[in-house]
Amino acid sequence: MSDLGVALVVWPSAAILLVTALYVFRTASMARAGLLLLASLGVEGLIFLALASEFLGALQLLMMSGEMVLMVFFMVMFMPDPGGLMGMDMTHDKRRAQAFAVAAGIALALVAVLTDWPAGTLNADAVDVRAIGFEVMGRSMFTFLFAGMTLMFTMIGGTLLAKQGGRYRVGAPSGELRDAGDEGR
Amino acid sequence: MISLPVVLGVAAVMFAIGVYGVLSQTNTVMVIMGVELMLGAAMLNVVGFLRYSWPEAASGSFFVLVIMTLMAVEAAIGFALVISVFRHRRTAELDDLSGLRD
Repeated sequence: MSDLGVALVVWPSAAILLVTALYVFRTASMARAGLLLLASLGVEGLIFLALASEFLGALQLLMMSGEMVLMVFFMVMFMPDPGGLMGMDMTHDKRRAQAFAVAAGIALALVAVLTDWPAGTLNADAVDVRAIGFEVMGRSMFTFLFAGMTLMFTMIGGTLLAKQGGRYRVGAPSGELRDAGDEGR
Repeated sequence: MISLPVVLGVAAVMFAIGVYGVLSQTNTVMVIMGVELMLGAAMLNVVGFLRYSWPEAASGSFFVLVIMTLMAVEAAIGFALVISVFRHRRTAELDDLSGLRD
C-alpha cells in the first residue's frame, strides 16, 4: 500500500479507535460499552492491516469479535444497571483517575515524539505470512507452544474457578452471603 | 503522512484511556475492559515498531501473539473470578469487595 493509502486508512481509523475507546467509559449502557470496545479493537485490526501486518490484523479482527461479544454477555449478566436506564453512577475517584491517565498519556506521547527511533525501510521482500509460518516452526516454536499451554491451563483453571463450589467443592464461607436464602445455591 | 511517532502517540492516548477506565470504574467487568484497551495499546506499539523500525523481523509478530494470548487469559480468568465472587457476594462491584483491605 502506498504512503497516501496508509495515511488515508490510519488517520480516520485512529480517530474512530480513540473516540470509541473513550465512549466505552462514558456511555451508561453496558451493552453499548461492549460494542464500542469491539469497534475500537476491530478498528485497531484495520490499522494493523494498513501497517503491513496482514496476519496480525486478520487475527485481531477474528479474536476481538469473539471476545467482545462474550464480554457483552458478561456485562449484561453482572452489571446492576446494564441498560443504563436507572442513571446509576458506576465510577469512583474520577478526578484522580483523569489526572493519572492524562499524566500517563502525556509522558508516553513525549517519549514517542522525543526519542530518536531507529528507522527501517519496508521493501518488497518484507515479512509475509509465509515467513511467520517458518518462524513458528523454527526459533519461535517454544514461544508458540508456551502460549498454547498457557491457554490450555487458563481454560482448566477458569472452569475450576467458575464452577459451583470452586476447586474443592466448598460453599461460601459463613457470613459471606448477603442473605440466608442464597445458602443452597 | 504516517510515521512511528504518530502510531506511538495514538497508542499512548489509547493506553491513557485504558488507565482511566481501570482507575475510575467500580464494576469488575469494566475494569477488565480498561485492561484490554491497555494491552491493545501495547499491541499497536509493537506493530508500529514492526512496520517502521524492523520490517524484516518475523519474530516481532510473536510479541503481538503473546499479548493477544495475554488478553484472552486475562479476560477468561477475570470472568471466572467475577463468577466465583458473584456466587458468594451477589455483586461484582469493586467497592463492595474490600474484605482484604478492611
